[in-house]
Amino acid sequence: MSGITPIPTEHIDNFFASLSDAILFFHKELCPHCKNMEKVLDKFSAKTPSVEIFSIDGEAYPELLSKLSFERVPTLAFVRNGTVVKVKTGLMNPRELKALYSSL
Amino acid sequence: MSTTYDVIILGGGVAGMTSAIYAARANLRVLILDENACGGLVNWTKVIENMPSYTSIGGMELVERIQEQVEALGVDIEEAACIDSIDLTGEEKIIEADDTIYKAKAVILATGRKPIPLEVAGECENVHFCAICDGAAYKGKKVLVVGGGNSGFDESIALLDQGIEELLLVEKMNRFFAAQSTQDELTSHANATILHSTEVTAVSCDEKLESVTLRNVATNETIEYPCDGIFVFMGQQPGTAIFQEQLSLDSDGYIETDELMATSLAGVFAAGDVRPKKYRQITTAMADGTVAALEAERYIRSLAG
Repeated sequence: MSGITPIPTEHIDNFFASLSDAILFFHKELCPHCKNMEKVLDKFSAKTPSVEIFSIDGEAYPELLSKLSFERVPTLAFVRNGTVVKVKTGLMNPRELKALYSSL
Repeated sequence: MSTTYDVIILGGGVAGMTSAIYAARANLRVLILDENACGGLVNWTKVIENMPSYTSIGGMELVERIQEQVEALGVDIEEAACIDSIDLTGEEKIIEADDTIYKAKAVILATGRKPIPLEVAGECENVHFCAICDGAAYKGKKVLVVGGGNSGFDESIALLDQGIEELLLVEKMNRFFAAQSTQDELTSHANATILHSTEVTAVSCDEKLESVTLRNVATNETIEYPCDGIFVFMGQQPGTAIFQEQLSLDSDGYIETDELMATSLAGVFAAGDVRPKKYRQITTAMADGTVAALEAERYIRSLAG
Protein backbone atom coordinates (compact mmCIF):
# COMPACT_ATOMS: atom_id res chain seq x y z
CA MET A 1 0.00 0.00 0.00
CA SER A 2 1.64 3.21 -1.09
CA GLY A 3 -0.76 6.09 -0.52
CA ILE A 4 -1.23 5.82 3.23
CA THR A 5 1.48 6.12 5.87
CA PRO A 6 2.48 2.84 7.51
CA ILE A 7 1.79 3.07 11.22
CA PRO A 8 4.89 4.02 13.26
CA THR A 9 6.06 1.36 15.68
CA GLU A 10 5.44 3.52 18.75
CA HIS A 11 1.70 3.53 18.04
CA ILE A 12 1.66 -0.26 17.87
CA ASP A 13 3.79 -0.62 20.98
CA ASN A 14 1.33 1.36 23.10
CA PHE A 15 -1.64 -0.16 21.28
CA PHE A 16 -2.85 3.09 19.74
CA ALA A 17 -3.16 4.91 23.09
CA SER A 18 -1.45 7.98 21.68
CA LEU A 19 -3.96 8.42 18.83
CA SER A 20 -6.86 10.80 19.32
CA ASP A 21 -8.78 10.51 16.04
CA ALA A 22 -7.47 7.91 13.62
CA ILE A 23 -8.41 5.17 11.20
CA LEU A 24 -6.16 2.12 11.00
CA PHE A 25 -6.28 0.35 7.67
CA PHE A 26 -5.42 -3.34 7.92
CA HIS A 27 -4.53 -4.79 4.53
CA LYS A 28 -2.51 -7.42 2.72
CA GLU A 29 -0.11 -6.69 -0.08
CA LEU A 30 -1.85 -8.60 -2.87
CA CYS A 31 -5.44 -8.11 -1.73
CA PRO A 32 -7.49 -6.48 -4.53
CA HIS A 33 -10.24 -5.32 -2.18
CA CYS A 34 -7.55 -3.61 -0.11
CA LYS A 35 -6.32 -1.76 -3.18
CA ASN A 36 -9.86 -0.47 -3.74
CA MET A 37 -10.23 0.44 -0.07
CA GLU A 38 -6.99 2.41 -0.20
CA LYS A 39 -8.51 4.64 -2.90
CA VAL A 40 -11.61 5.13 -0.77
CA LEU A 41 -9.44 6.16 2.17
CA ASP A 42 -7.45 8.53 -0.02
CA LYS A 43 -10.69 10.24 -1.00
CA PHE A 44 -11.95 10.30 2.58
CA SER A 45 -8.64 11.72 3.78
CA ALA A 46 -8.71 14.53 1.21
CA LYS A 47 -12.09 15.66 2.54
CA THR A 48 -11.38 14.96 6.23
CA PRO A 49 -7.73 15.89 6.77
CA SER A 50 -8.07 16.08 10.54
CA VAL A 51 -8.34 12.30 10.78
CA GLU A 52 -5.03 10.46 10.89
CA ILE A 53 -4.98 7.41 8.64
CA PHE A 54 -2.38 4.69 8.99
CA SER A 55 -1.90 1.41 7.18
CA ILE A 56 -0.99 -1.85 8.89
CA ASP A 57 0.14 -4.91 6.96
CA GLY A 58 -2.02 -7.68 8.39
CA GLU A 59 0.55 -10.29 7.45
CA ALA A 60 3.27 -8.47 9.38
CA TYR A 61 1.15 -7.98 12.52
CA PRO A 62 -1.18 -10.98 12.83
CA GLU A 63 -1.25 -10.56 16.61
CA LEU A 64 -3.02 -7.21 16.19
CA LEU A 65 -5.72 -8.82 14.06
CA SER A 66 -6.19 -11.43 16.72
CA LYS A 67 -6.28 -8.83 19.49
CA LEU A 68 -8.99 -6.91 17.66
CA SER A 69 -10.92 -10.13 16.86
CA PHE A 70 -10.86 -10.23 13.08
CA GLU A 71 -9.01 -12.24 10.47
CA ARG A 72 -10.11 -10.76 7.16
CA VAL A 73 -8.97 -7.72 5.19
CA PRO A 74 -9.61 -4.97 4.34
CA THR A 75 -10.54 -4.00 7.88
CA LEU A 76 -10.69 -0.55 9.40
CA ALA A 77 -10.23 0.12 13.10
CA PHE A 78 -11.51 3.50 14.22
CA VAL A 79 -9.63 5.00 17.16
CA ARG A 80 -10.91 7.83 19.34
CA ASN A 81 -8.87 9.16 22.26
CA GLY A 82 -6.70 6.10 22.43
CA THR A 83 -9.49 3.57 22.27
CA VAL A 84 -10.58 1.37 19.38
CA VAL A 85 -14.27 2.25 19.15
CA LYS A 86 -15.20 0.33 16.01
CA VAL A 87 -13.80 -2.41 13.78
CA LYS A 88 -15.33 -2.78 10.33
CA THR A 89 -14.36 -5.42 7.77
CA GLY A 90 -15.10 -5.24 4.05
CA LEU A 91 -15.12 -2.77 1.19
CA MET A 92 -17.06 0.49 1.50
CA ASN A 93 -17.48 3.37 -0.89
CA PRO A 94 -16.51 6.89 0.23
CA ARG A 95 -20.07 7.79 1.19
CA GLU A 96 -20.49 4.67 3.30
CA LEU A 97 -17.17 5.36 5.03
CA LYS A 98 -18.13 8.96 5.71
CA ALA A 99 -21.49 7.89 7.14
CA LEU A 100 -19.88 5.26 9.35
CA TYR A 101 -17.25 7.70 10.60
CA SER A 102 -19.92 10.31 11.34
CA SER A 103 -21.99 7.81 13.30
CA LEU A 104 -19.22 7.07 15.80
CA MET B 1 -9.91 19.59 -12.17
CA SER B 2 -12.10 20.53 -15.13
CA THR B 3 -15.48 18.88 -15.54
CA THR B 4 -15.71 19.14 -19.33
CA TYR B 5 -13.91 16.62 -21.47
CA ASP B 6 -13.73 15.31 -25.00
CA VAL B 7 -14.00 11.73 -23.77
CA ILE B 8 -15.07 10.27 -20.46
CA ILE B 9 -14.16 6.64 -19.95
CA LEU B 10 -16.21 4.76 -17.39
CA GLY B 11 -14.03 2.02 -15.98
CA GLY B 12 -10.28 2.00 -15.50
CA GLY B 13 -9.51 -1.60 -16.36
CA VAL B 14 -7.21 -2.55 -19.19
CA ALA B 15 -9.80 -1.71 -21.87
CA GLY B 16 -10.50 1.68 -20.32
CA MET B 17 -6.86 2.57 -19.78
CA THR B 18 -5.91 1.50 -23.31
CA SER B 19 -8.69 3.75 -24.63
CA ALA B 20 -7.29 6.56 -22.51
CA ILE B 21 -3.81 6.13 -23.96
CA TYR B 22 -5.08 6.30 -27.53
CA ALA B 23 -7.45 9.19 -26.86
CA ALA B 24 -4.84 11.22 -25.00
CA ARG B 25 -2.31 10.68 -27.75
CA ALA B 26 -4.93 12.01 -30.18
CA ASN B 27 -4.86 15.25 -28.14
CA LEU B 28 -8.28 14.67 -26.67
CA ARG B 29 -9.05 15.72 -23.10
CA VAL B 30 -9.77 12.51 -21.23
CA LEU B 31 -11.20 11.52 -17.86
CA ILE B 32 -11.35 8.02 -16.41
CA LEU B 33 -14.01 7.45 -13.77
CA ASP B 34 -13.89 4.21 -11.80
CA GLU B 35 -15.94 3.16 -8.79
CA ASN B 36 -12.91 1.26 -7.49
CA ALA B 37 -9.20 1.38 -8.14
CA CYS B 38 -7.99 1.25 -11.74
CA GLY B 39 -7.18 -2.18 -13.06
CA GLY B 40 -10.44 -4.06 -12.70
CA LEU B 41 -10.18 -7.81 -12.74
CA VAL B 42 -6.47 -7.73 -13.59
CA ASN B 43 -5.91 -6.69 -9.97
CA TRP B 44 -7.30 -10.10 -9.02
CA THR B 45 -4.87 -11.97 -11.25
CA LYS B 46 -1.82 -13.19 -9.41
CA VAL B 47 0.41 -13.90 -12.42
CA ILE B 48 -0.04 -12.94 -16.09
CA GLU B 49 1.95 -14.89 -18.65
CA ASN B 50 -0.02 -14.50 -21.87
CA MET B 51 0.55 -10.84 -22.58
CA PRO B 52 3.33 -9.86 -24.99
CA SER B 53 6.06 -7.77 -23.29
CA TYR B 54 6.42 -9.69 -20.04
CA THR B 55 7.26 -13.36 -19.64
CA SER B 56 5.52 -13.17 -16.29
CA ILE B 57 4.15 -10.24 -14.31
CA GLY B 58 1.79 -9.81 -11.37
CA GLY B 59 -1.62 -8.37 -12.14
CA MET B 60 -1.30 -5.42 -9.78
CA GLU B 61 2.17 -4.61 -11.10
CA LEU B 62 0.93 -4.63 -14.68
CA VAL B 63 -1.92 -2.29 -13.74
CA GLU B 64 0.52 0.04 -12.00
CA ARG B 65 2.67 0.27 -15.11
CA ILE B 66 -0.26 0.92 -17.43
CA GLN B 67 -1.63 3.53 -15.04
CA GLU B 68 1.73 5.31 -14.91
CA GLN B 69 1.64 5.51 -18.70
CA VAL B 70 -1.92 6.87 -18.66
CA GLU B 71 -1.12 9.51 -16.06
CA ALA B 72 2.02 10.58 -17.91
CA LEU B 73 -0.20 11.40 -20.88
CA GLY B 74 -2.21 13.86 -18.81
CA VAL B 75 -5.36 11.81 -18.38
CA ASP B 76 -7.42 12.77 -15.33
CA ILE B 77 -8.34 9.78 -13.18
CA GLU B 78 -11.02 9.71 -10.50
CA GLU B 79 -10.98 6.46 -8.56
CA ALA B 80 -13.44 5.41 -5.84
CA ALA B 81 -16.02 7.54 -7.64
CA CYS B 82 -19.65 7.24 -6.57
CA ILE B 83 -21.62 7.52 -9.82
CA ASP B 84 -25.12 8.89 -9.27
CA SER B 85 -26.56 9.28 -12.76
CA ILE B 86 -25.68 9.00 -16.41
CA ASP B 87 -27.39 10.60 -19.41
CA LEU B 88 -25.93 9.28 -22.64
CA THR B 89 -28.83 10.15 -24.93
CA GLY B 90 -28.03 13.72 -25.91
CA GLU B 91 -25.20 15.07 -28.05
CA GLU B 92 -23.59 16.16 -24.80
CA LYS B 93 -23.03 13.20 -22.48
CA ILE B 94 -23.60 13.97 -18.80
CA ILE B 95 -22.34 11.97 -15.83
CA GLU B 96 -22.92 12.93 -12.22
CA ALA B 97 -20.41 11.48 -9.79
CA ASP B 98 -19.35 12.55 -6.32
CA ASP B 99 -21.79 15.48 -6.53
CA THR B 100 -19.96 16.80 -9.60
CA ILE B 101 -21.44 17.00 -13.09
CA TYR B 102 -19.06 15.89 -15.80
CA LYS B 103 -19.74 16.52 -19.50
CA ALA B 104 -18.18 15.03 -22.61
CA LYS B 105 -18.64 14.76 -26.34
CA ALA B 106 -18.13 11.01 -26.28
CA VAL B 107 -18.19 8.25 -23.69
CA ILE B 108 -16.48 4.89 -23.67
CA LEU B 109 -18.09 2.33 -21.39
CA ALA B 110 -15.51 -0.10 -20.06
CA THR B 111 -17.07 -1.12 -16.77
CA GLY B 112 -16.21 -4.78 -17.10
CA ARG B 113 -17.82 -7.51 -15.06
CA LYS B 114 -18.33 -8.51 -11.46
CA PRO B 115 -18.36 -11.93 -9.74
CA ILE B 116 -21.55 -13.97 -10.02
CA PRO B 117 -22.87 -14.60 -6.50
CA LEU B 118 -23.89 -17.98 -5.12
CA GLU B 119 -27.61 -17.28 -4.86
CA VAL B 120 -28.41 -20.12 -2.45
CA ALA B 121 -25.93 -18.72 0.08
CA GLY B 122 -28.04 -15.73 1.01
CA GLU B 123 -26.30 -13.44 3.49
CA CYS B 124 -23.97 -16.07 4.96
CA GLU B 125 -20.87 -14.40 6.41
CA ASN B 126 -18.66 -17.31 5.42
CA VAL B 127 -19.07 -16.86 1.67
CA HIS B 128 -16.09 -15.21 -0.02
CA PHE B 129 -14.78 -14.17 -3.41
CA CYS B 130 -11.08 -13.67 -2.70
CA ALA B 131 -8.65 -16.22 -1.27
CA ILE B 132 -5.92 -13.70 -0.51
CA CYS B 133 -8.32 -11.41 1.37
CA ASP B 134 -10.14 -13.99 3.43
CA GLY B 135 -8.28 -17.30 3.21
CA ALA B 136 -6.23 -16.92 6.40
CA ALA B 137 -9.40 -17.14 8.48
CA TYR B 138 -9.75 -20.77 7.39
CA LYS B 139 -6.30 -22.07 8.29
CA GLY B 140 -6.73 -25.61 9.59
CA LYS B 141 -10.37 -25.70 8.44
CA LYS B 142 -12.48 -27.14 5.61
CA VAL B 143 -13.57 -25.04 2.66
CA LEU B 144 -15.63 -25.53 -0.46
CA VAL B 145 -14.58 -23.82 -3.69
CA VAL B 146 -17.26 -23.34 -6.34
CA GLY B 147 -16.12 -23.00 -9.94
CA GLY B 148 -13.86 -25.09 -12.16
CA GLY B 149 -12.28 -22.37 -14.27
CA ASN B 150 -8.84 -20.82 -13.90
CA SER B 151 -9.96 -18.62 -11.00
CA GLY B 152 -11.37 -21.54 -9.05
CA PHE B 153 -8.19 -23.58 -9.41
CA ASP B 154 -5.78 -20.66 -8.87
CA GLU B 155 -7.58 -19.47 -5.77
CA SER B 156 -7.76 -23.04 -4.44
CA ILE B 157 -4.00 -23.29 -4.65
CA ALA B 158 -3.74 -19.94 -2.85
CA LEU B 159 -6.05 -21.27 -0.12
CA LEU B 160 -4.00 -24.40 0.35
CA ASP B 161 -0.86 -22.26 0.58
CA GLN B 162 -2.52 -20.54 3.55
CA GLY B 163 -2.92 -23.80 5.44
CA ILE B 164 -6.43 -24.97 4.58
CA GLU B 165 -6.83 -28.46 6.04
CA GLU B 166 -9.28 -29.84 3.48
CA LEU B 167 -10.53 -28.35 0.23
CA LEU B 168 -13.26 -29.53 -2.10
CA LEU B 169 -13.68 -27.86 -5.50
CA VAL B 170 -16.94 -28.40 -7.39
CA GLU B 171 -17.92 -27.51 -10.96
CA LYS B 172 -21.46 -27.81 -12.29
CA MET B 173 -20.46 -28.63 -15.86
CA ASN B 174 -19.22 -32.07 -16.84
CA ARG B 175 -15.59 -30.97 -17.07
CA PHE B 176 -13.19 -28.39 -15.68
CA PHE B 177 -12.18 -25.33 -17.68
CA ALA B 178 -8.91 -24.36 -16.02
CA ALA B 179 -5.56 -24.79 -17.77
CA GLN B 180 -4.43 -28.41 -17.44
CA SER B 181 -1.19 -27.36 -15.72
CA THR B 182 -3.22 -25.59 -13.02
CA GLN B 183 -5.49 -28.58 -12.61
CA ASP B 184 -2.45 -30.81 -12.23
CA GLU B 185 -0.97 -28.51 -9.61
CA LEU B 186 -4.12 -28.55 -7.49
CA THR B 187 -4.65 -32.29 -7.73
CA SER B 188 -1.07 -32.85 -6.59
CA HIS B 189 -2.19 -31.67 -3.15
CA ALA B 190 -3.32 -34.66 -1.09
CA ASN B 191 -5.90 -32.59 0.81
CA ALA B 192 -7.66 -31.27 -2.32
CA THR B 193 -10.56 -33.03 -4.03
CA ILE B 194 -12.23 -31.94 -7.26
CA LEU B 195 -15.68 -32.92 -8.50
CA HIS B 196 -17.31 -31.94 -11.77
CA SER B 197 -21.04 -32.37 -12.56
CA THR B 198 -21.72 -31.10 -9.05
CA GLU B 199 -23.69 -28.09 -7.92
CA VAL B 200 -24.52 -26.43 -4.61
CA THR B 201 -28.24 -26.63 -3.97
CA ALA B 202 -28.45 -25.42 -0.37
CA VAL B 203 -26.35 -23.77 2.30
CA SER B 204 -26.92 -24.34 5.97
CA CYS B 205 -25.82 -21.18 7.71
CA ASP B 206 -27.09 -19.77 10.97
CA GLU B 207 -24.58 -17.67 12.88
CA LYS B 208 -21.88 -19.40 10.88
CA LEU B 209 -21.67 -21.85 8.03
CA GLU B 210 -22.32 -25.46 8.97
CA SER B 211 -22.65 -27.40 5.70
CA VAL B 212 -23.65 -27.30 2.07
CA THR B 213 -25.81 -29.65 0.07
CA LEU B 214 -24.19 -30.85 -3.13
CA ARG B 215 -26.09 -32.47 -6.00
CA ASN B 216 -24.60 -34.59 -8.74
CA VAL B 217 -26.35 -33.18 -11.81
CA ALA B 218 -25.92 -36.47 -13.71
CA THR B 219 -27.25 -38.88 -11.08
CA ASN B 220 -29.31 -36.46 -8.97
CA GLU B 221 -27.63 -37.90 -5.88
CA THR B 222 -27.17 -35.41 -3.04
CA ILE B 223 -24.68 -35.30 -0.21
CA GLU B 224 -24.21 -33.05 2.81
CA TYR B 225 -20.72 -31.56 3.03
CA PRO B 226 -19.78 -30.01 6.37
CA CYS B 227 -17.43 -27.06 5.87
CA ASP B 228 -16.37 -23.78 7.43
CA GLY B 229 -16.18 -21.50 4.41
CA ILE B 230 -17.22 -21.18 0.76
CA PHE B 231 -15.16 -19.45 -1.90
CA VAL B 232 -17.13 -18.65 -5.05
CA PHE B 233 -15.55 -18.31 -8.51
CA MET B 234 -18.44 -18.96 -10.88
CA GLY B 235 -17.48 -16.39 -13.44
CA GLN B 236 -18.59 -12.84 -13.97
CA GLN B 237 -21.59 -10.81 -15.07
CA PRO B 238 -21.67 -7.28 -16.52
CA GLY B 239 -22.50 -4.34 -14.29
CA THR B 240 -24.76 -2.61 -16.79
CA ALA B 241 -27.93 -1.95 -14.79
CA ILE B 242 -27.26 1.78 -14.83
CA PHE B 243 -27.24 1.80 -18.65
CA GLN B 244 -30.16 -0.49 -19.37
CA GLU B 245 -32.76 2.23 -19.92
CA GLN B 246 -30.57 3.99 -22.47
CA LEU B 247 -28.58 1.39 -24.35
CA SER B 248 -29.29 -1.78 -26.26
CA LEU B 249 -28.18 -4.75 -24.15
CA ASP B 250 -28.25 -8.42 -25.05
CA SER B 251 -30.25 -10.99 -23.08
CA ASP B 252 -27.34 -11.50 -20.65
CA GLY B 253 -27.00 -7.79 -19.98
CA TYR B 254 -23.93 -7.11 -22.11
CA ILE B 255 -23.78 -3.88 -24.14
CA GLU B 256 -24.34 -4.62 -27.81
CA THR B 257 -21.79 -3.07 -30.16
CA ASP B 258 -20.75 -3.37 -33.75
CA GLU B 259 -17.21 -4.38 -34.67
CA LEU B 260 -16.11 -0.75 -34.24
CA MET B 261 -17.32 -0.71 -30.61
CA ALA B 262 -20.23 1.61 -31.44
CA THR B 263 -23.31 1.12 -29.27
CA SER B 264 -26.91 1.94 -30.06
CA LEU B 265 -26.28 5.61 -29.14
CA ALA B 266 -24.20 8.05 -31.18
CA GLY B 267 -21.01 9.02 -29.38
CA VAL B 268 -21.21 6.11 -26.95
CA PHE B 269 -18.76 3.25 -27.34
CA ALA B 270 -18.16 0.13 -25.29
CA ALA B 271 -14.96 -1.86 -24.81
CA GLY B 272 -13.73 -4.91 -22.98
CA ASP B 273 -15.61 -7.42 -20.87
CA VAL B 274 -18.81 -5.37 -20.80
CA ARG B 275 -19.40 -6.38 -24.46
CA PRO B 276 -20.66 -9.79 -25.59
CA LYS B 277 -17.56 -11.65 -26.72
CA LYS B 278 -16.12 -15.11 -26.75
CA TYR B 279 -12.59 -14.45 -25.50
CA ARG B 280 -12.12 -12.19 -22.49
CA GLN B 281 -8.41 -11.66 -22.23
CA ILE B 282 -6.16 -8.69 -21.45
CA THR B 283 -5.10 -8.64 -25.09
CA THR B 284 -8.67 -8.60 -26.40
CA ALA B 285 -9.57 -5.86 -23.92
CA MET B 286 -6.67 -3.83 -25.27
CA ALA B 287 -7.90 -4.39 -28.81
CA ASP B 288 -11.40 -3.22 -27.90
CA GLY B 289 -10.03 -0.19 -26.09
CA THR B 290 -7.92 0.75 -29.07
CA VAL B 291 -10.80 0.57 -31.52
CA ALA B 292 -13.20 2.39 -29.19
CA ALA B 293 -10.79 5.29 -28.70
CA LEU B 294 -10.00 5.62 -32.41
CA GLU B 295 -13.72 5.61 -33.21
CA ALA B 296 -14.44 8.11 -30.44
CA GLU B 297 -11.78 10.39 -31.89
CA ARG B 298 -13.30 10.02 -35.35
CA TYR B 299 -16.77 10.80 -33.96
CA ILE B 300 -15.56 13.90 -32.10
CA ARG B 301 -13.73 15.20 -35.17
CA SER B 302 -16.93 14.72 -37.19
CA LEU B 303 -18.82 16.92 -34.70
CA ALA B 304 -16.35 19.71 -35.37
CA GLY B 305 -17.38 19.52 -39.02
